[in-house]
Amino acid sequence: MIIEAHGLRKTFTAKRGRGKTEQVEAVKGVDLEVEAGQIFAVLGPNGAGKTTTIRMLATLIPPTSGTAIVAGHDVTRDPGKVRENIGYVGQAGGVDENSPGREGIILAARIGGMSRKQAETRSEELLTAFSLTEFADRPIKTLSGGQKRRFALAIGLVNRPPLFFLDEPTTGLDPQNRANLWDEVRALRKQGTSVLLTTHYLEEADALCDRLVIIDHGLVVAEGTPDDLKKEIAGDVVTLRLGESANEPAQALLSAEPYVRDVRTEDETLRVYVDDGEHNLPHLLRALEAGGLGIQSISLDRATLDDVFLRHTGRSLRDAD
Amino acid sequence: MFRHTMLFLGYELRLTLRNPVWPLFGILQPVLYLLLFAPLVANTTVGGTMGDTLRLFTPGVLMMIALFGSLFVGFGMINEIRNGYLERLAVSPAWRPAIVLGRTMRDMLVLVLQALLVIGLAWLMGMRASAPGVLVMLVLMAATGLLASGLSYGLALALRDENGMSQIMQFFALPLILLTGIMLPMSLAPQWMQTVAHFNPLYHAVEAGRSLFDGDFTDGSIPLAFGLTLALGALTLTWSVSSMNKLAG
Ligand SMILES: Nc1ncnc2c1ncn2[C@@H]1O[C@H](COP(=O)(O)OP(=O)(O)OP(=O)(O)O)[C@@H](O)[C@H]1O
Ligand SMILES: [Mg+2]
Repeated sequence: MIIEAHGLRKTFTAKRGRGKTEQVEAVKGVDLEVEAGQIFAVLGPNGAGKTTTIRMLATLIPPTSGTAIVAGHDVTRDPGKVRENIGYVGQAGGVDENSPGREGIILAARIGGMSRKQAETRSEELLTAFSLTEFADRPIKTLSGGQKRRFALAIGLVNRPPLFFLDEPTTGLDPQNRANLWDEVRALRKQGTSVLLTTHYLEEADALCDRLVIIDHGLVVAEGTPDDLKKEIAGDVVTLRLGESANEPAQALLSAEPYVRDVRTEDETLRVYVDDGEHNLPHLLRALEAGGLGIQSISLDRATLDDVFLRHTGRSLRDAD
Repeated sequence: MFRHTMLFLGYELRLTLRNPVWPLFGILQPVLYLLLFAPLVANTTVGGTMGDTLRLFTPGVLMMIALFGSLFVGFGMINEIRNGYLERLAVSPAWRPAIVLGRTMRDMLVLVLQALLVIGLAWLMGMRASAPGVLVMLVLMAATGLLASGLSYGLALALRDENGMSQIMQFFALPLILLTGIMLPMSLAPQWMQTVAHFNPLYHAVEAGRSLFDGDFTDGSIPLAFGLTLALGALTLTWSVSSMNKLAG
């Protein structure tokens, strides 16, 4: 295990103005186990506690309670040792805006213990790997968001950390750059680096990670591989639009069908979770017809992590806040 | 630890060298004082010759650079907190105090260079001062830089807000400057102002500067200025370093 965290909690005391303070329970008891060599995602909506969790694991803030062993060292007792073994790219990126990226990479390499010469070689390697050579000598503030993000990654990787933390690495990137970043993260796994990333994109967690936890309001609500989590709620989902008045009878009727795992209403539509959708769709249609319920529209899709989220929290991640 | 401090110092110095316009711009206002105000004072009954006036006036102008230049270094740091740069440094293997120490040393070096430029200009305008005195004054400048930039980084890390910070500095900077006797010697001031001025470390630094430029090393203001500046400098530096240590506590 490269990360083993138990009962992590963080309560902030926030100022409310006029000297008043407020207790914010950002993380309310999170357990995490990440195996070495995995890409592990922490998925959750805004304010779920993702950043706070990753900050505790990266030794930036001490947990209010709970323990975490990261890369073999305790984050509260031995933060220095943890820092030698991690790379960390925060949500805001964290590159010095005024200097050229090359300088930032070299500084990070030398802080990590390399000689001037080694640092220069290493920076060339990274600049090439992230296609940044042509921007290397311009002040970072003159670069685009995607280019800055790549510098942030390069700086985080400079000392070849066995564990890499990425807080919302693809927020603000276009699809092209997002796909590139996914490739880069996969390449890291290939080299044996473990990655813990946070995201609020379902597709990202689904496409990229080996395992994930879903967190909401500071608590883990589900944990597993993307496939396992989706299988838990049945493999397929039929989305039905029947008209307002028909939703209730349809829910009762369909829940009784043997191949239906769960039925949920979302706005005007019904989401019906079924096993083996291709085979059971005709059965479902017949059942509705027999009940005298007219269909306005219907579609069959694979269940997504959003359905997992919906199942565990009663809300959809797409409109959760 | 020392290595990390030197690495940060080198990095920051390269950054300053890449954009030397700003430190140069920073001495523009003091230089204007020198060019426009010194001749004015020289013409009044207070001043004697131009050279005498400049010898009286230049130490004050130097303290003005020290104050205005170094007090504002913290502004950049607020942005570095916001864009996560300091956060990243804090979880890197860097020795945390080095992050502040490297910058403070850069600020002190820049200040000494600015001071040299201003003294050179005053020299060209006719000032003659004791050379060892000028050297000691440069050391005092560095110490004042330590005090001011320590204070500035401390404020930046504590407030994390440009607005709040500029309000506080506006509030302190003007009285500090007026009560140093930069413009005119405090001996011309009413008694109560002179009393208040004694609580201003910059006042003693300017007094010490004047004695040093006159080549008078026996004046009591010199040890007093060094003692005060270094003690306060140590205090502000400790404050900013410890704020850095608990950056995201
Ligand atoms: N320094 C702080 N002081 C007070 N409250 C905080 C602080 N940091 C975070 N919080 C609160 O803790 C909760 C969790 O915040 P966190 O930044 O961990 O969320 P997140 O999951 O990363 O969200 P996002 O997707 O928006 O980045 C939020 O309600 C936030 O307001
Ligand atoms: Mg976040």
